[in-house]
Parts: sequence; C-alpha cells; structure tokens
Amino acid sequence: MILGNPFKLRRNGVMGLNERNLRLVAELNPRGLMRLVNDKTITKRLAIEAGIPNPELIGLVSNPYDMRRLDQMLERPNGVAIKPANGSQGNGIMIITGPMKGGYKLANGRRVVFEDVRFHVMNILSGMYSLGGLPDTALIEERVRFAGVFDEISFKGVPDVRIIVLKGVPILAMLRLPTADSDGKANLHKGGVGVGVDLVTGVTQLGMQYDQLVDFHPDTANELSGLQTPYWEDMLIMAAQAYDVTSLGFLGADIVIDVDKGPLLLELNGRPGIAIQIANRFGLRAHVEPVLAADTSKMDAKARIAFGKDIYRLIHEGQAAA
Amino acid sequence: MSSHLHARLLAFALILLGMGIFLHKSVQNDYPIVPDQTRTIWNLEVYIEFAAGNRPVRVETYLPARSDVRDVVDEQFYSGPFGLRIVQEGVEGNRKAIWTYRYPDGPKVLRYRTTMMEENRSTPLPDSLQSEGRPADLPFQSNLQRQAFIVWISTIRRQSADNESLVELTLQEIFSPTLSDELAALIRPLPGSLGRLELARTVLESQGVPARIANGVYLDDARRRAEIVSWLEYRVDGRDRRYFPNGNPSKFFPIWYGLGEIVEAVGASEMSTQISLQPSRYAASTIARSQVDDGNFVLRMFSFDALPLTTQLVYRVLLTIPVGILLLVFLRQFIGLQTLGTFMPVLIGIAFRETALLTGLILFSILIALGLAMRFYLEKLKLLLVPRLAVVLIFIVLSMAAITILMSDGEQRIGLSISLFPMVILTMTIERMSIVWEEYSGSEAIKQGLGSLAVASITYLAMSNRYVEYLMFNFPELLLVIMGLCLLMGRYMGMRLSELRRFRELIGIKDEAEFPFKDKAE
Ligand SMILES: Nc1ncnc2c1ncn2[C@@H]1O[C@H](COP(=O)(O)OP(=O)(O)O)[C@@H](O)[C@H]1O
Ligand SMILES: [Mg+2]
Repeated sequence: MILGNPFKLRRNGVMGLNERNLRLVAELNPRGLMRLVNDKTITKRLAIEAGIPNPELIGLVSNPYDMRRLDQMLERPNGVAIKPANGSQGNGIMIITGPMKGGYKLANGRRVVFEDVRFHVMNILSGMYSLGGLPDTALIEERVRFAGVFDEISFKGVPDVRIIVLKGVPILAMLRLPTADSDGKANLHKGGVGVGVDLVTGVTQLGMQYDQLVDFHPDTANELSGLQTPYWEDMLIMAAQAYDVTSLGFLGADIVIDVDKGPLLLELNGRPGIAIQIANRFGLRAHVEPVLAADTSKMDAKARIAFGKDIYRLIHEGQAAA
Repeated sequence: MSSHLHARLLAFALILLGMGIFLHKSVQNDYPIVPDQTRTIWNLEVYIEFAAGNRPVRVETYLPARSDVRDVVDEQFYSGPFGLRIVQEGVEGNRKAIWTYRYPDGPKVLRYRTTMMEENRSTPLPDSLQSEGRPADLPFQSNLQRQAFIVWISTIRRQSADNESLVELTLQEIFSPTLSDELAALIRPLPGSLGRLELARTVLESQGVPARIANGVYLDDARRRAEIVSWLEYRVDGRDRRYFPNGNPSKFFPIWYGLGEIVEAVGASEMSTQISLQPSRYAASTIARSQVDDGNFVLRMFSFDALPLTTQLVYRVLLTIPVGILLLVFLRQFIGLQTLGTFMPVLIGIAFRETALLTGLILFSILIALGLAMRFYLEKLKLLLVPRLAVVLIFIVLSMAAITILMSDGEQRIGLSISLFPMVILTMTIERMSIVWEEYSGSEAIKQGLGSLAVASITYLAMSNRYVEYLMFNFPELLLVIMGLCLLMGRYMGMRLSELRRFRELIGIKDEAEFPFKDKAE
C-alpha cells in the first residue's frame, strides 16, 4: 500500500504535522518561551535550578577566545559530547568517547585529532547547525555512558526515552535506539528505531524504523518488546517537572540513563515529532483530547502523572479487551 | 477556537474584496480577462554573422527608431569583443548600432534583441513628419527629367480634385506594372521597389504632402527569417496614411526610414543577416489604457498604466511571484513536499524566466554539482563558514563565466540570459545540500535537491504562464484573493499527502468502536 486512506487515519486518531503545529505547538507553546528549549544552555540552567538531573556541563565555547580552553575541556577519561546550543535533530553533535593515541575516539569508532574537533566547534560557532544560520554557542558536556539495560537492542551509542508531555501530563512515551544507520545517535530521522513504551509500566512494546513497523532491532536482531525501562517512575517525574520549569504546554522530554547517575534529562523539545504514533501504533488524538479538555493547572506533577496513566490505561486496556 | 474563526473571517473578507473588484472590472467595465490576441509584444532579433580576416571591421545596423509616439525599451546587445556605439541621426529618429573591432579573426557573430509593440494602419505617425509640410525642391538633375516631371504632374493635377485624389492617382501611376515613358525616365535605379517608393516620396513632398520611406517587417506570424520590406508613410490633410507596394499586412513594425540598408559593413566577408520575430507577452496595457482614461476611479486605482514602461515590465514579473508562492504553500501544506529552504524554489523559478526551463534546469544542475564538489574539497581545508561560503560563491561565478564562454561559440542564447541567475541562492543551496549530505546521506541530499528543482519548475510554469501574467498584471486585486487563500491554508489541519504514506501502517490497527474518546477536533 502506497498511501493510507485519510478517513481511516482520521478515525484512528492519527495526527498530522499541520494539526500538531496549529493545535498543539501554536496553541500551547508561546513563541517567547520556545527559547527556553531551543537553547540547550538555557534548558540546562533551568533543569539544574529545578533539581532535574542532567549531564554535567563542562563548559561553553561562545567565541574564539573560549577556544583556548577547549583542549582542557576535552580531557575527560569518559569522553564528552559537543553540541550546538541551538541545534536540532541531532545535527552537529560530536560524541567523543575518550582519548585515543594522541587524538580522540568518536562514538562511531573513528579517531580524530584536536584540529578536527576545533574545526567542528568553529563551524558550530559560525552557525552552521543553528536555526537560520545565526552564530551559536558550543556546549560541551560530560558524555553519558549508557547503562547496559538496552544493550541487546542498540547498536553503538546512546538510546534515549522520549516522553510527550501535554499541559504537564505525560501521555505517550517511546524508547529510541541507535542503529548502524543512525551513527550512534537515537534520532529517528537518522534511522534510529522507535519503540513504544507502556506509559503505565515502562515496558517496551513493538517498534518502527523509517516509518515502517519492526519487531526486531535491525542490527542485533533481538526482539524489541518486553524489556523493562529502569527508573520509569523517576523519568515520568522528570518529564512532568519539565513542564513546571518551562510552562510549555506541548513538550518532548529526552531522557537517558547513565551507568552511575541514573536517568538524566538530555534535552527538551518544543515541537516534538509525531512519529511516536507509529512507534506506539496508536494515533495521538485519543491521548490529546482528554488532556486538552481537562484543567491541569491545579494538579502537581504526581497528580498529572496519575492522570496520564489513567488516560493511557483507559485507551489501551479497552484495546486489549477487544 | 477564536483564532481559527478570526483567520477565516479575514480570509473570506479578503477574497470577497478581491473578487468583488475583479468582477466589477471584468463584468461592469468589460475589461477582458484573457489576453487580447491582437496586441502582442514581439521579440525582434537581428543576427549578423560574418567572417573577419584580421583587418579592421566596422558593422552598422539600424535599430528601431525612436519617436514621440514610440519608445524602445529592453534592448540587449551581444557584441563579443567588438566595441559598440549607438548613434541617433536625422529628424526621423533613425538609430544605428556601430560595432567596431581592429583585428578580428575567424567567424564572428553580433546580435541585437529587443521587444516591440506592433503597429497597424491606425497607429499614428510621429509629429516629425509634419515639419516638412512645404513643397520641396525638385531633386531632378537634368533638364530632360525636369521637363518629364512637369508634363506628368500637370496631367495628374488636372485629373485630380484634391490632395487626397492627387496622392491616389500618383501612387497608382507610379506602382502600375507598366510605366509611362515620363516616369521611366524619373525612377532612380534602386533595388526592389525602393526606386518607385523614392519617386513617390519625391512627388508627394513636391506637392506639399509629407512622406517618407519606412523599412521594417510585417508581423503576420512568427518567423525565424523575416524579410525587410519597405513602404510609404505620408500625411495627407492631417490624416496618417501608409502605402504598401508589396503585400497587404495588417500588422507591421518600421525599423528605420530612408534609403539605407539594414546592415552595412566594412572589412567583413561572407556576411549573413537574419532577422527573427517571435510573438510573446501580451500587452494588455494598451487595452487597459483606453479604459482607464474614461475616469473610472476603481480602474485607475488598481492599474499600473500610469507607471513608466520599464517599471511596468518589472511589475509584470513581480506580480506573478505571489502565484508561485501560493503554489509553494500548497505543495508544502497539502502535499508535504520538503524543499531546501522555504522560498528557495520560487527564487529559482524566477531565475528560470531568464533562461527558459530546460536550459535553466541543466545550468542549475551543473552549477550545483560543481559547487558541491568545490564545497567537499574545501571541507579538507577547514575554513570558517562565511569565508567558505564566499569561496563557493566566487567559484559559482567563475563556473558560470566558464559555461557562458564555452557555450558562446554555438548557442548564444545562454550568454544573454545567464546574467540574472541567482548566485547567492545557489550558494546557500549548495551549503544546505552539503550539510544534508554529511548529516544524512548523499541520496537524501540529491533527493531534496531534485525535489526543490521539481517545485521550482512547477512554480516557474505557473509564474510564466501568459494567462497568469495577464491576470495578475491587469487585476492586481487578485493579490488579496491569494492572500486570503494563504490564510485559509494556514489553518488547514488535515493530513498532508506525504503523511498518508508515512502513517500508512496505522490504518488497520484500531476500529472506531473501540475508541473511548470521541473525536473532538471538529
Ligand atoms: N551527553 C551526551 N552523551 C552521549 N550522547 C549524547 C549526549 N548528548 C547527546 N547525545 C546523543 O545525541 C543525540 C541528540 O542529542 P540531543 O541533545 O537530543 O540534541 P538534538 O536537539 O540535536 O536532538 C542524543 O539522542 C544522543 O544519542
Ligand atoms: Mg534530541
């Protein structure tokens, strides 16, 4: 089948980008607040203030002067992640896993020398990866060493959990797994695998890659479903708190699990993608409508999580019963 | 959902207003809504080819004359290495291009191009014709000729009642297949019908009827090779008249006046001159003007006729751009096409106007490919972003120059048209493509590049369509309608065509009965 029947898609509650942009992003995320999540340095500051754990910030490079300290910043035995503060979709991110023969080892196994890293940072500063090509800041943070829980179903790199938070209520979640195609990053555009996660229990379900349903990881051939996400409750709380610190009504929270530090908030997204519908094999609208209709302003994070779980249970148990 | 309603109301108001003015103009005032076939703008091209043999060459050619009733705009010269001078001569407004070069060698080509408005029998003649409304001295040298003339003219005068019939009789006699002995003695040995025309002109002038020989082309259809024809223009009792000894054209265009040759050359051999005609844009302005003059306020307010011709030509192009944008919005919001840069395809589409579609596509692809190669090479040098962009841009200019020079031997069309190709857009496109190339894959970059080209072609076809151009130029109020449509599209919440494909796996999963929540979207 090349095209889906639009009426059936509607009936299944599948939401398109136009609707997401108008009903969720434009309605719930005031333009002025988007800065809080578009700029990773601000997100980081807010998270630290609110006590939401996140990867340790090593330093910022915002001009050639800061560049002098770059080699010092890279000297971490466990490696660092270099990101454009205003980047998106994983573009311009360089992950260094540690030193290697006078140079550095990248997540994909290649070795680079200091000069290469410097050039990359320079490109970030000149705005090559930022929206509209504006000059940018490079953010250097500690590399997350992923706890081995999902090793069976990832290929090099760091899986992360994406939780969609609507008016503070977590409504859908998915686990994103790096693949050989995605070059160690978990972004779905780049060929990462998205796996639906049961919002109530945190257990993985079936998945998708390149908009197609998959049940096994393409590189490791292991089954995607049936794995328990550790720290699930903590993650839900982190996601729900993200709403409190940003006031953005439609958020995607990206969370990773570090071997030593547990769940860390990697970034927040003001216009999260809608592929999560395919990963969960369920349209967004059914999850969105009850939250839009409800008044969540008086609920605290715990109450919102309970509300989200109720909605999820109602929708998906009705499903299981059928 | 108040913003929804707000947007809709505004959109409908704009559409109603735009359509209202449009209908008022077209129905109430009979303003034609499709281009009028009889008012065409013609592209005239003079193509001169010759061999030069290492000695100074001088080529002169007549350009369309200027006068108080005619302006010549939009002229393009292709001179190659030749020096070019334009001179104006005589009261008739004749103009000449003079190309010179000291040591040319081998085959050479010179070209001149312009657009012009056709003329017909009711087109007024310029005032300059009037100034000579007095009997001229007779140019005949010998006594014999003078006597022959006096005998002949007095017969004619006797037979005619007034100036009008005098002219008619004169022309009839001069252009009759068999000449009387008197006339045969008077005609100068000139090529074609020029001898008779010149005699007719002399006779009319001697009788106080201003006249001149016009040389030009007949515009009855498009021609690769148009012939130069000559005719007589005269004014008798204040009425403008033309006499065509050859054929009976309904539309024509005079280029120069008098007895000169269209091209004269010194130092050139194997000379060949080709004049081609191509009808193109529809000059609605002439129609519009007659209607605007009648004092209708609405018509005058939404019309560009008061502007100078060159400005009008710019608006002709400018006003079609919103149509391209409308199309682009549709392709993005309803079809879901991804393009490199939001409006980039439209800008490329505008550039295609200069090059025509196929040439434009080829040119664009070549330049992008070269630029990408350059960009990947520069990657090794580790340059900062802005200087790197600058290098790519300069490289693009160089490549364009190289292509133009390579092509100039065969097909010169590209040489003239490449000039406005948007280099900056090309450079940004290359940069974007190379990022996609690195971050995703080469095939993704090429896919996006081709997608953008496809959108550019579609918008070009829409923007260059002559009906679209005519409608937008003559009914600029349609901009309001387009704006309204864009507002409506801005509130479209349904699926894009591409999403029907993207979410095709989600079709068979659930059924309505199992939905605990009703669809509250609409
Ligand atoms: N500190 C880090 N340690 C390890 N991997 C990281 C780190 N930061 C980012 N990544 C990898 O890069 C991907 C994208 O990072 P993210 O911060 O989400 O930026 P973006 O806004 O570009 O998506 C993540 O999914 C993860 O795989
Ligand atoms: Mg991300």
